[in-house]
Amino acid sequence: MSQATGGFVGKILIIDLTNQTAETIDSEPYQQWGGGHGMGSALFWDYCEDKTVGPFDEGNVVTVCANPFSGTPVPSASARVEIQGIGSFADPEWFTRSSMGGRIAGMIKAAGYDAYVIKGKAPEKTWINIVNDEVEFHNADDLWGLDTAQTQETIWDYVTKGTPDGEWYTVGTTRDGGRTTQKPAVMCIGPTGENLGRTATITHDAGHHAGQSGLGAVWGSKNLKAVSFLGTGSVSVADPAALIDLRIEFQQKFAYNVDDPVLETPNPDAAVYGFITRHPGFNGIYWNARDMISRPYGCQGCFRNCRHNFDDGVGNGIMCAASLFYMSADNLKDQVRAADLQNKLGMNGFETSIISYCRNLYKMGVMGPGKEIESNLPFDKFGSWEFAEAFIKAIAYREDIGADLAEGSMRAVKKWGRWEEDSANGTFQYPQWGYFYHYDPRLEVEWSYASIMSERDVNEHGLNWHVHWMPMICSMVGEEPLISAEEMVNRLAASTTLDDPMCFDYSEEGIYSDATIEKVAWMRHYGRFWVQSMGMCDWLWPHLIEYASPTGDPTPATPDFEPRMYKAVTGIDITFEESLEMGKKIYLLDRAIWHMQGRHRDQEVFAEFVYSLPTSAPYPLPVFEDGRWTYGTCMDRVLDRDRFETVKDRFYEHEGWDVSTGCPTRAALESYDLGYVADTLEAAGALQKG
Amino acid sequence: MVWNMSEKNSNPADGRAAAKTVTRRDFVAAIGGIGIGAILAGAGVSAFLVGDEVYAVEASGGYLLVDTKKCGACETCMLACSLAHSGRTNVNLSRLQLTKNPLGCFPLDVQQNQCRQCPYPSCVDACPTGAMHADPETGVRLVAEGKCIGCERCIEACPFTPSRVQWNYEDKCAQKCDLCLNTPYWDQEGGPCGKQACVEVCPMRAISFTRTIPRQSDEGYDVNLRNEHWAIIGFPIDDAGRVRPDVSVPTASVVPPQPADAAEEE
Repeated sequence: MSQATGGFVGKILIIDLTNQTAETIDSEPYQQWGGGHGMGSALFWDYCEDKTVGPFDEGNVVTVCANPFSGTPVPSASARVEIQGIGSFADPEWFTRSSMGGRIAGMIKAAGYDAYVIKGKAPEKTWINIVNDEVEFHNADDLWGLDTAQTQETIWDYVTKGTPDGEWYTVGTTRDGGRTTQKPAVMCIGPTGENLGRTATITHDAGHHAGQSGLGAVWGSKNLKAVSFLGTGSVSVADPAALIDLRIEFQQKFAYNVDDPVLETPNPDAAVYGFITRHPGFNGIYWNARDMISRPYGCQGCFRNCRHNFDDGVGNGIMCAASLFYMSADNLKDQVRAADLQNKLGMNGFETSIISYCRNLYKMGVMGPGKEIESNLPFDKFGSWEFAEAFIKAIAYREDIGADLAEGSMRAVKKWGRWEEDSANGTFQYPQWGYFYHYDPRLEVEWSYASIMSERDVNEHGLNWHVHWMPMICSMVGEEPLISAEEMVNRLAASTTLDDPMCFDYSEEGIYSDATIEKVAWMRHYGRFWVQSMGMCDWLWPHLIEYASPTGDPTPATPDFEPRMYKAVTGIDITFEESLEMGKKIYLLDRAIWHMQGRHRDQEVFAEFVYSLPTSAPYPLPVFEDGRWTYGTCMDRVLDRDRFETVKDRFYEHEGWDVSTGCPTRAALESYDLGYVADTLEAAGALQKG
Repeated sequence: MVWNMSEKNSNPADGRAAAKTVTRRDFVAAIGGIGIGAILAGAGVSAFLVGDEVYAVEASGGYLLVDTKKCGACETCMLACSLAHSGRTNVNLSRLQLTKNPLGCFPLDVQQNQCRQCPYPSCVDACPTGAMHADPETGVRLVAEGKCIGCERCIEACPFTPSRVQWNYEDKCAQKCDLCLNTPYWDQEGGPCGKQACVEVCPMRAISFTRTIPRQSDEGYDVNLRNEHWAIIGFPIDDAGRVRPDVSVPTASVVPPQPADAAEEE
């Protein structure tokens, strides 16, 4: 790949916590990986000397990487950083990833860095203040114990020397050091991370979390409370005029016109319809934001602004699962309040969703005072704020059953002796690596196959919005799907460039087909490059179907816009096909790291319910049955264990992995200029494992 | 409150009193952009007597209006502004400054701080070299960079907080909003007769452009750009942003009533 002429700022900050030192390296050697995840995997490979260490070992390395799009107006791609390291959440504890938006990526680059790397373990509780090229290590005793909001407010005030909101603050000692009206962008942990809860997040601003990989606890183990960035530098762009025009063109074609929308929710109470229209604040799924007073609140550079800031500030930024875990609350405000507390204490919203399972155990007489699983939480007040507060704090501070739940729900359920039974009968549906049921692993298989052949719940919605949510939402509001199943698969075949509608056949036969394997690989490769390496928000990208363009043109943004934006920012002309190859290369490197950690194909099996518990609720997906396309209900389905093993055979072969072990082959690695990775794998004995 | 963008002038009554004392500096500090444009709207020139001097400035050919209650805080306006003007992105060098507190309370959590192209531009008045001036063709208040000596009097003179004139620490000169009259890194024609990058890129349509001199108050520049569609997706549309959207636009007013036979079946 040729050298970028824009998008990068040129330096990577290497932070050594053990010795309280910092240095910079040239980012140019790592720019070939795109940025974000690719850059992070490459940095981890180089800086983590022993990749077999555990998450809380001093040798673990955490990388935080921005990308060329960070801090630019590329739509829904400016804000996100990718965070990687050996995570504490998954079982086993794989090298893993998470990400967050907000305004952190742009600020890191404004300070002059494309990425930063955290090594070692601080000898005392520490926070780090980075203002342009100045890096200061501070004792964090006074911050330890504060929640994520208190921590950030304290740091904001310290860094800007108490400058009131909205005033210019002079950075450095002269006016040419820069001036800003912006608050520092802070990444921090709350009490959950301090107490090494494996469900701990790294949090930024109100509701931006790296939540699903237990990296908050890794920071806690390193005595690292927070890292703050304040930058005043500029980001060069290869073709500014083209980028502005692309942004405007994109909005004209794909943005929700807030003043006169082409497609509007047919029922304002059905906020979930926003999944289709992408209107501002649409993350308020299931709960009715119309009962509250707020503004839409977006990440830097977004064109939809899917979150909310409320009139009392409680619940700012909450979204998706984090806003939903306490839907049993007696009233909406307590639901939002519970989500807010969870965010402030710094814990993953998906994991607190186990609240319902715990209540079921209480109702079954298994959990409670004097019961098999001892708990004095006020289950008799389930639905109240009192219960939510007690439950959340129990996890954060490792009290009552929270001491077990802080280890992750699956570990808790195993400790309680309920894993075998409840995982088989579907009471506890955590299909892979200790991660929750996100979408049905028996049906929506690009999600589950990709998850099990990676290291976590993949959490990439690009196909999911269309194949599942569109028909689902339309049925919820009593409407016919916006387009037929046949039209959907044809459109997806075109926009993905897979050119085969059978890739999107979710029938009982289709999910084991070679076409499905092509789709899963496409999703992994697109995700690894565009979503995770270029920071493109998966709530928009890939943009595969447009339902209501103001221009009337149904052509979606993918695959046309991504390479055009990449060229406008970096100056590099890349084809869509080449970008997918980059994604494949990054996935290969990740796979190599997992095999350095001891991965084997035998581990890549789902929890029992996936194979033995039939689906029992309608779950719309396109299916090709009896010679025609429909949205099937996909009832009474399980994943066939043997046929899934054949999927693995073919997928491994497709990716250049050894079919017997799942380890990348030397030939595949060398074909992507990763011979040095093959050498290391071979020295570790991983290539020979059969 | 008539104007409150500057802590220097938080009490409008004080401002009105100060305006009667007729020294120029006091007048500028007290009144900022208030009054003159409203008085002389349509005249094309703001001219008035201050102490023993006559001061005349072309009225700007256009003005940016914002709706801070509609802003989604995405900062795209700032990214586009700096990109169009300098070819680089830098929120700190955006002429429009969006300031926000992610942990704050709506509607005070976000402010869109745009230059008001004041009818009485104290920044122009303060400039000792004529670098800060009103463009004779468009009336837009501009900086002639070659004439700027970096004294920052224009920045100090701006009566608003944050100052709408700023020190460009990269190019070493003062800068301010020019309504995109001079955007070498954007192919569109800008200025009062053209387009403004912030207006074009704002996904919430929370920035608009007008050629009519706004009423000289905060409310004159911070306007309500929200209609019933904004309430349908869950946001307040009253001026103050205090009325729940389901009150402004009840669901029943949007969802058609069920057919009688369907209701009977239930």
